This record gives sequence, structure tokens and C-alpha cells, in this order.
Amino acid sequence: MIVVIAVVAVLIIGAAAAVVLTSDKKGSLLLATTTSTQDSGLLDYILPTFEKEYKCKVLVVAVGSGQALTMGQNGDADVLLVHSPSSEATFVQNGYGTNRTSIMYNWFVIVGPDADPAGTKNATSALDAFSRIYDNGTSGDCKFVSRADNSGTYTKELSLWAALNSTYTKENVTQWSSTWYLQAETGMGAVLDLCEEKNAYTLSDDATFYSRVESGLIPHLNITKTGDSKLKNQYSVILVNSTKWPHINATLAKDFLDWMSSKAGQDLIKSYVLYGHQLFTSNAPGYTSTSLSHTRMTVAASVPRTARG
Amino acid sequence: MALDIGYDVVQVTLLSLYVSGCATTVGSLIGIPLGARIGLRQFGGKGLLKTITYTMYGFPPVISGLVIYYLLSRSGPLGSLGLLFTPTAMILAETLLVIPLTTGITISSVTEVDKAIKDTITSLGTTRRQGEWTIMKEAWVGIVMAIMVAFGRCIAEVGAAYMVGGNIQGQTRVLTTAIMMETRLGKFDYAVGLGVVLLGVAMAVFLFLKYIQEKEML
Repeated sequence: MIVVIAVVAVLIIGAAAAVVLTSDKKGSLLLATTTSTQDSGLLDYILPTFEKEYKCKVLVVAVGSGQALTMGQNGDADVLLVHSPSSEATFVQNGYGTNRTSIMYNWFVIVGPDADPAGTKNATSALDAFSRIYDNGTSGDCKFVSRADNSGTYTKELSLWAALNSTYTKENVTQWSSTWYLQAETGMGAVLDLCEEKNAYTLSDDATFYSRVESGLIPHLNITKTGDSKLKNQYSVILVNSTKWPHINATLAKDFLDWMSSKAGQDLIKSYVLYGHQLFTSNAPGYTSTSLSHTRMTVAASVPRTARG
Repeated sequence: MALDIGYDVVQVTLLSLYVSGCATTVGSLIGIPLGARIGLRQFGGKGLLKTITYTMYGFPPVISGLVIYYLLSRSGPLGSLGLLFTPTAMILAETLLVIPLTTGITISSVTEVDKAIKDTITSLGTTRRQGEWTIMKEAWVGIVMAIMVAFGRCIAEVGAAYMVGGNIQGQTRVLTTAIMMETRLGKFDYAVGLGVVLLGVAMAVFLFLKYIQEKEML
């Protein structure tokens, strides 16, 4: 008898929530994105404007790049904002998504200890910096911490090793000696903390690095190399295939894509400043940037809490 | 500090209580009668069933989350309900986690009721149902303990909550997923602050349950 009551209770709760959700669904958009866009504070900064203009609510689920794409593939999100170009291409080719559009990029940075034992500050390029880290690492003079977790950052790191030497494949890299090449299998922030402790180098996204510096957690780490086109981190919006998944909010998803690539959206993205650094450069097709100084002025008064620390 | 956190901590706390409360309630409503039956009746495979129940104490939350994720995903069997990334999904995942706890602790509690009391109950010539009910009253302290342990697991749970809830601000962000997010951001002070809030809430609930536990003893 009591088991029956329990089952009924579950069904009632479920039904109630389903009702709440369906009534809410018209005006809500489920955005699957990578932790970097949420953790950098960008979404808190730009989404309220979109929500106000389209009188809707954006529900953000921030996960790893791979998981965000899987959510789109399974129809568990309406729209994606991700940064994993090769996986994105496969995703669209397989018919899981449409309208893949470049929106913005930010920078990966090579981060190292004060002493810079590998001399990456004098490196002529990102690949030269990686080459110096490899040489000094194998000779026992420096360490490198790898995310090793299939994040977008790890994909980028692997692509840099592969570009440096065609024999540095993933299979090969994962076999490197742990005396200098530490495979952390953890998040960016935790990897930076590890580098601080171990006086090691790593590849990081700039936003996480600046946040960590501001929190005072990594006083002995610096950016030793950035700005190389190989360190560019391109973000795109992809619409989840609404033919395959008719339940998704395709209209609002398209509105989101259009707004993100519109001049208003692009100007707003570009105007986001975290700890004095402009993080994201808008580069939607057809967008031409206007005077940056003007848009920056308007930022100071309305920096969201992630930026205030 | 708490005022500057960027989202409504009170709302996050209430959602934590709601999700944990529902999961504990449903988990208790299923687990306690189930545990009483397993503990008090004799049947073939009883030992094996008990071993399985105790083994499930170690069920990893993320696996519970994954099971619910696959059931509720749009591509899964219950996808049409649209329940993924809702508090209900979190309740389901946590319920799955606590059923073994409520069942197992109830089994132990009713088994431990003094043999003399059980004999007395039998000699009074009550029906089996009445007799079992009386034994459960004798096992009351242990049964409330089952509820406490279940609530403790739910309120502290993060893996499954993140997986099927998604930590959506204003919708599925609970104290534990907020703590995880703040930690990821390096905002350890916020994380610790939220942890203190969580412990405060847990203490209030446990004091209430302890009151019920002792009151029934009289």
C-alpha cells in the first residue's frame, strides 16, 4: 500500500514539474555552453540584454565542450555556444545541428613560473614556446601540466604538440614521462593552482588565468606567450536540428543566433571587460567593428559581479 | 560578501531543501516498508537481497545521475516528459541513491528489536500486519535514523545534482552545485560561505528529526 502511495507521490511531483516546465517553455531557451563562457562572466553580462529584448529567459547549462555537443545531439538543448571547431564540423556534418556561425574568439595563453626556466618569454611563436618547454622538460629543467581531460583547451594543447612535431600524437604525448609532463585530468583553475605549486607551465584560457590572478591564488605565474594566431580560441553558435527534435524552441534559438551575430550583440560581446582586459573579440560574418573606446566607456558602470571579485 | 554573490542564495537554499526533502520523503516511503518486509519476513534469497542492499550504499552518485540522465534525455525512453534539467530530475536521481540507505537501515533496525519483545507480540495473538507495525514502533529510533542519513546524503549530493540539474541559475542551482561552481571560479570564500549555510540548514533539519525521534520514544 505504502509503495503505491510512494509511486503516486513521484507521479504527482513529476506531473507538477512537467506542467511548470511546459508553461515556462514558450519563453525559455536552453543554452548548452562551455564553462568558460559562464565562468568568465560574459553570459551574465550579455544575456540580460537579450532576455529583455525578446522577453524570454535563457537557461544556461555550462558543461565541457564534448558534453554540450552530446546534449545537442540528444535534443537536450535548444542552442549551443561552443569552442571545438573540429568536433563542431563533425556535429553539423552528421546532421545534429545547423547554421553553425562564428561569433567571437578569445585567446589561449601559455603560462609559466616567474623564473621562466624554459625561456618562453623570448619565444618567437607559440610553437617555439612549446618546443622550448619540451626540450627543457625532457632535460629535467621544467615541468608542464596538461589538462588531459578532453576539454577544448586539451584539444588545443594536443594540436600544438602535433603541429610542433608530427610524431607527437595523442598516443605519444600521453606516454611522456610524468617527471616533467603532468596529466592532471582536472579543470583549468585547479591546473593553474597545480602549476603554482609545482612551478610548472601550462596552456590556459585567458579568462580563467585573469580570475585566478585576481583571486590571489597564483602569485608566481605569468603569461609568457600569447597573441599567436595558433592560440586563437574560436566560439560558434550552432542551432540544434529542429527537424530531428521538434520539441525544441527553434524560433527563440534562431533569434538568439541572429542577435548574437547582430551589431548590437557583437558590440556588447566586445565591450565585456574582466579585470581590465577585453576578453572576447567579436567576429561574426559581416560584422565590422566600430570605435572600441566608446563601447568600453559604458562598461565601467555595469561590470557584473564576476568581474568585481 | 553574500550580498555580492550575484544570485539569490535564499532561493538556492530553499531549492536545496525542496529537492532533498522530496527525495528523502519518497526514498523513505519506498525504503522503510521495503526494509521492514525484508527484515521481518522469511523468504528464499533474503540474505542475498540484504547483501545487494548494503552493497548499494556505495552506489556512485554520478552513476545514479547518468541513469536518470539517459532515462529523461530527449533521446531516452522518458524524453517526451521534458524533465531533464528540472528539480524533478534531481529528485529522481537522489531518490534512487537513498532507497538502499532507507531500506538497509530499516532492515537493521527491525532486526535488532529484542527477541523477547517480538515473542510477546506474537503471543498476544495479533495479526501479522499489526505485529509488524508494533515492531516498527519499537524500531522507531533506527527508522528515523534512516531518514536522517537519507537527508544527509541528499543535501550534500553534488555529482548527480549537477548532471541532471545542470546548475541553472534560478531553476536548478542548489547549494552543492553552487559550491562546486564557486570553487571552480577560485572564489573559495563564497564556497566556504555556502558550505556554512548548508550545514546550518542541515542542523535545523536534523534537530527537527531528532525531536521527532525522541518524542515518539516517550
